Amino acid sequence: MTSLDPRLNRVDIYKYQQELQPKDSMDQFETYEVFLQTKESKPYQHEGIVHAPNRDMAFLFAKEQFSRRGTCTGLSVVRTEHIMVSPMTDNDENVYDLVSVEPEKNTKKETYEVFYLFKRGKHMQHQGSVSAVGFHDAYIQAGATYNTGKTVLNVWVIRHDDMLFNTEDERVIWSTLSEKKFRDAIAYKALDKIKKFKEEQLASK
Amino acid sequence: MNEVAIKDLLYKMADDQLIIGHRNSEWNGLGPLLEEDIAFCSMAQDKIGQSLAFYTILNDMGESDPDTIAFTRNANQFHNCQLVELPIGEYDFSLVRHFLFDTSEYLRFDALAQSTHTPIAEVSAKIKGEIQYHVMHANTWIKQLGTATDEAIERMQKAINVAFPYALGIFEESKYEGDLITDKVFIGEHILRERWIEAIDKVIATTELVIPDLAAEEAHLGGRYGEHTEHLQPLLTEMTEVLSIDPRAEW
Repeated sequence: MTSLDPRLNRVDIYKYQQELQPKDSMDQFETYEVFLQTKESKPYQHEGIVHAPNRDMAFLFAKEQFSRRGTCTGLSVVRTEHIMVSPMTDNDENVYDLVSVEPEKNTKKETYEVFYLFKRGKHMQHQGSVSAVGFHDAYIQAGATYNTGKTVLNVWVIRHDDMLFNTEDERVIWSTLSEKKFRDAIAYKALDKIKKFKEEQLASK
Repeated sequence: MNEVAIKDLLYKMADDQLIIGHRNSEWNGLGPLLEEDIAFCSMAQDKIGQSLAFYTILNDMGESDPDTIAFTRNANQFHNCQLVELPIGEYDFSLVRHFLFDTSEYLRFDALAQSTHTPIAEVSAKIKGEIQYHVMHANTWIKQLGTATDEAIERMQKAINVAFPYALGIFEESKYEGDLITDKVFIGEHILRERWIEAIDKVIATTELVIPDLAAEEAHLGGRYGEHTEHLQPLLTEMTEVLSIDPRAEW
């Protein structure tokens, strides 16, 4: 069998075809959560997940996965298992009214980043950072500071040092992003072309 | 300023970007991981965009329009170095070429951002950021695989040994090298090569890999003036396939 795609014929991909074997459980990369800041004035928000063998590789993958269109001023990745996630409440319940946590035994203060979800189907949004002795302490402190009115459906708490952010100097990697209109389908005016083609066909009948 | 010298410099840079961009895009859909597939092809797309920027400067200087320059020349009219036209091979080779080539282009555009030729300086300053990510991507992969299993290290080393003499060909001097340096258009290939060796050494030193002995290596030259391997013409034929079937095609 040959393909219309010369690349496929060149790599002789059929040579490598074999029966699919189920993989051993957990025989895969760990997952990393990706947070994006689209403008300097906007908070970081959760965009999605990448599989990667480590944090540096996760950053590489996340950059093209989640910031290859539009605008971007900052990116951060963190191992999924390094996030403390509160239960998700129903639409009209505030998670702070339902979940109480035990005080921490540690004494060493560290910086924690806090993300809230205000509406199902929307993104987790960065609220700010707190200095706390642990995840639970950070959760409580964040509640006092950021739980002010809007119903919070879900809370994520992440130790700042577990998050990998780009440096200031690395921001230039997005400097030409807004010009890459060719990555948007709209740039090709495909619908206009199809419409024109159909009209021409009709006219010629 | 010597206009012929500047055009010579622009042609080789534009052709390098077009050919490496087209080559690397061949991984589209075949990459080793979904995320990597997207990242690698995105970078290939960046490089084709960069070639357009340089062909546009050439057009402003009186050369044909970018599409004509890109799609209607034969292999012996191309000024790219031979490194960029080699087939993609296995992923180890593509990554090693990406590392060796992109490090050189980052340093090239970093230097050219200070060029006395304003259009070149402006484009170089602008695209440097894109290439900063390309280099970050290359370095992270080299560090990852260059410290991984015996098989990974062996394959990466083999790819370095194959690619290295071609990589030295990146720095083939222009006929007008002296003019470009005197007019402060460009620092020249010699200084660029020194900076490149220093930069790749720094990354390779963090791995189990080694850079071949420079004294024993002979650069594959000729690409800058139309001497190419047998791999370039088939690439051009494939790249221009649609145009040769239907010259009026639009997409």
